Amino acid sequence: MKTKGTNSFSARRIGAVAAIAFALVATLLPSAFAAGEAFGKACTVEGASTGTSNTSLVCKAGSNGKLTWQRVRLASAYGAPAPALRAPKGSIEFHHWRGAEDGATFDKIIALFEARNPGAKIKQVVMPSGDYTNLGYSKIRTNNKAAVFATFRGSQFVQFAKGDMMTDLTAERFTRQNVIANGLIPGQYEGKQLGIPLHYLFNNPVYNTEIFAKEKWELPKNFTGLLNWCKAAKAAGYTPLAWSGGFRPNAGQMLNSMLMNSAPNYATLEKRIEDIDTGKADLQTAWFKDMAGRYKQMADAKCFPDNATGVTDAAAINLFATGKSPVIPTGSFQMGAIKTVNPAMTGKMQLFSLITTDEKPQYVGIQNNTFILSVNKNASTTDQKIARAFISFMLTGEIASIYANGTSQHVNVLDATYTNQDLINTSVWQSKKTLLAPRFLWLNQGVRDLMEDALIAIVGGKPIDATLEDYSKQIKQKLS
Amino acid sequence: MASSPLKKFSGAARPSFKKRHSIQGSKKALYWMSLPALSLYVFLFLMPVLNNLRYALTKWDGIEEPEFVGLDNFKKLATDDDLATKVLGNNIEFMFWVVIFQTGFALLFATYLVKNTRTTLFFRTLFFFPTILSSVSVAMIWLFLYDPNYGAINTTFKKIGLDSFALNWLGSENSALYAIIFVQVWFHTGQMMVIYIAGLQQIPAELYEAANVDGASRWQQFKSVTWPMALPTSAVVVAYTTIQSFRAFDLVYATTQGGPNNETSILTTMIFQTAFNEFRFGYAASQSIIMVIMIFLITGLQKRILRTRY
Repeated sequence: MKTKGTNSFSARRIGAVAAIAFALVATLLPSAFAAGEAFGKACTVEGASTGTSNTSLVCKAGSNGKLTWQRVRLASAYGAPAPALRAPKGSIEFHHWRGAEDGATFDKIIALFEARNPGAKIKQVVMPSGDYTNLGYSKIRTNNKAAVFATFRGSQFVQFAKGDMMTDLTAERFTRQNVIANGLIPGQYEGKQLGIPLHYLFNNPVYNTEIFAKEKWELPKNFTGLLNWCKAAKAAGYTPLAWSGGFRPNAGQMLNSMLMNSAPNYATLEKRIEDIDTGKADLQTAWFKDMAGRYKQMADAKCFPDNATGVTDAAAINLFATGKSPVIPTGSFQMGAIKTVNPAMTGKMQLFSLITTDEKPQYVGIQNNTFILSVNKNASTTDQKIARAFISFMLTGEIASIYANGTSQHVNVLDATYTNQDLINTSVWQSKKTLLAPRFLWLNQGVRDLMEDALIAIVGGKPIDATLEDYSKQIKQKLS
Repeated sequence: MASSPLKKFSGAARPSFKKRHSIQGSKKALYWMSLPALSLYVFLFLMPVLNNLRYALTKWDGIEEPEFVGLDNFKKLATDDDLATKVLGNNIEFMFWVVIFQTGFALLFATYLVKNTRTTLFFRTLFFFPTILSSVSVAMIWLFLYDPNYGAINTTFKKIGLDSFALNWLGSENSALYAIIFVQVWFHTGQMMVIYIAGLQQIPAELYEAANVDGASRWQQFKSVTWPMALPTSAVVVAYTTIQSFRAFDLVYATTQGGPNNETSILTTMIFQTAFNEFRFGYAASQSIIMVIMIFLITGLQKRILRTRY
C-alpha cells in the first residue's frame, strides 16, 4: 500500500510538474514572441521590460556586459501572487483624494469586497487633492476609524511616516509577492514598508495622436526639435502645450520632464534637489538656471498658451480635450478627466517624450508610483485587519484590473490585465527607460512651491536672473 | 403703634429667611446652568487661544515636541520675512478697497431700495443673491469668467474692439489682487446692503419731511439726514467688512492660491500655507497673533474715526 501510495504520489507530482511546465511554456512563449522579445535574445534599453506580469522579461546586462532579455523576479519574493486576506466583521473608513476619478470604481470594488467578506464595511471619505495635501494628516490623525488611507509620494508620505501613523507591511505576503518590487520604494521609510504604492503612472505629457497624424508631425526627439515643433504647431493655429500656469500643482508636473535629462545620473540629480530643498544651494545654481533658461526658450518658441500664468487646470484640460491643443504636459493621471470632458478622446491619447537636451537622452519618460495605501496604526486591531484585507484585495490581479480599467490608471500590481484602450496604448511605456518622478524629491513643500512659482514667473515673462535671485531669497528666509 | 405703610412696605420688600435662602439657591443654580456653555467656551475657544499663544513661542512641526524659542518667531516676522511684509501689505490694500467699495455700494443700493415696493424687493433679492452662494462656487464661476483666453469678460472686450482691456486677470501680478477685490465686493455687497436697509428704515420719516419742507435736495438730505443717522449702522458694516476682508481665505485660495508670485496672498492664506503646507505650526501661530492684533488696531481706528467725526 505504502509503495503504491508513493508511486501514486510521484505520478501525481510528475503530472503536476508537467502541467505547470506546459502552462509556463504556453503563457511565456506567446507573450514573449508576440512582443518581438524572447528570453536570451539581445535587447537595447537596459531596464526595459515586456510587461508587469509574473512572467515578463526584463532587459538586463549579463556577466559579459551584453544586454539580453532575462527572466527576473519582478516582485520582491518568489511565489505566485498571494490571495486576498479575509476580513473580520466591522466597519472602517477609506480616506483618499481621488473622488472624481476613482469614486465610482472604488464603490464597485468595495461592494465586491463586502460581498466576499460578509460583515465587513468600508466607507469612502474623499477630499479634493489640494485639501488632502494640507489637511489629510490632521483629519486622519484624529480619526481612528480612518483605518486605510492613501498618501502622495514624497512630503506627505514622509509626514505620515514621521508621525508614526502607519503600520509596517514589510512582512505581508501581498507586499512581497503581489507588487512590483521597484514600485515599492516610495512606500518605504527607514527600512520599513509603511505603504503600498498602487499607481504606476507616467508624469509625461500626453498627446493627441489624431492631431499629430492629421498634421503629419513627427514626435520631437530632442530640445531643438521640440522648439521647432512648438513653432510649427503655433503657426498651424494650435496652443502647443496646454500648460496650466495658473494652477501650480499641475503646472509643476512638467518639471519632471524638464529635470529628466538635466543631470549625468540619478544620484547627482537627487543630490542637487536635496541641496536646494535643504538650503545648501539656491535657485541661482548653474544647473537650475540652465533649466530655467529652457523654460524661457520654450516660452519664446510659443510652446505655452497665451497668458499662460492665468490658465487654470480646467481650462488646460478643455484646451486639450477639445483639440485646440495637441499636448497636455501633466501625465497619464489626467486621461480620465480628459475623457470626461470629451469621451471621443478615448483611444486617441499617447504619451509624449518631452526631451530637453540635444544630446542622447538617458531617459525618455517619467514614471511615478504613488497613491500609497497604508494601514492606520491608531485604528483598533479589528479595523487594522479589515484595512489589511482591503489592501490585499486591491493588490490581487483581478481587483487591480477592475481598478485600472475603470480609472484609466496603470497599477503597480502583478498580473493586472488592461482592457482599457488608453491603458493598452500606453502600456508600451512600461517597457521604456523611465525615471522615477524627480519632482517629489523635494520634501519641503514650501520650498517646492516657491521654486515652481519662480519657473511660472519666468514663463510669464519675468527676467531669469532677477526672478531666481528674488525666489532664492524667499526660500532662504523660509528655511532660516 | 400701628406700623406705617412705609415700614410695612419695606418689611414686605425684605424676603423672609426661607425665601432669601431660596433666592440664593436659585442664583447658585443659575451659575451651575451656565457651566455647560462656559465649559464649551473654555475648551473650544479659550484653551485654543491660550495654546496658540504658547505655540507662538515655539518651533513646532506639528508632530515632534515643540521647542521653546521665545520671541524668535516674532523677531523673524518683523525683520527677516519679506513674504510676510508683502502679504500684510496685500491684506491692507485688499481691506482698504473692499471696505470702501463694499460699504459705498451697499449704502448706495440701500438708499435707493429702502422703501418696500415690488421693484425694490426684486432688486434687493437680486443684489443679495450672490451672498447665498458658497465662496468656492463663486470662485469657480469667476475663474471661468476671468479666463484670459476664453473667459466671458475678455471675449466680450475683444468682440467690442476693446482688446486692450482684455487682461490676464488672475495670472498677472498687476491685476490679480484687484480682480479678487472685485469678486469679494460683488459677493458681499448684498449682505451689507440688507444691514443698511434695516438701519435706514429706522430713520424717522419726519426728518425727511422736515428736510423737504426746508427745500433740501436729495444730496443734501443724504448728507444731513441719512449719513449721520446711518453712522451706527456704518460702524457695524465697516467693522464687519474689515474682519471679512481679513478672513477672505476661501475665495483667494480657490481662485489663485495666493499667486501669482504671492500677489494675492493675504494673512489667512499665508497662515494656512505656513501651518498645513510647510508644517511650521509655531511660526503660523505667531502670524495669527499678528493678524488678530491688526484687526483690533484697524477696527479700533475705524470706530474712533466714525465716533470723533460725527
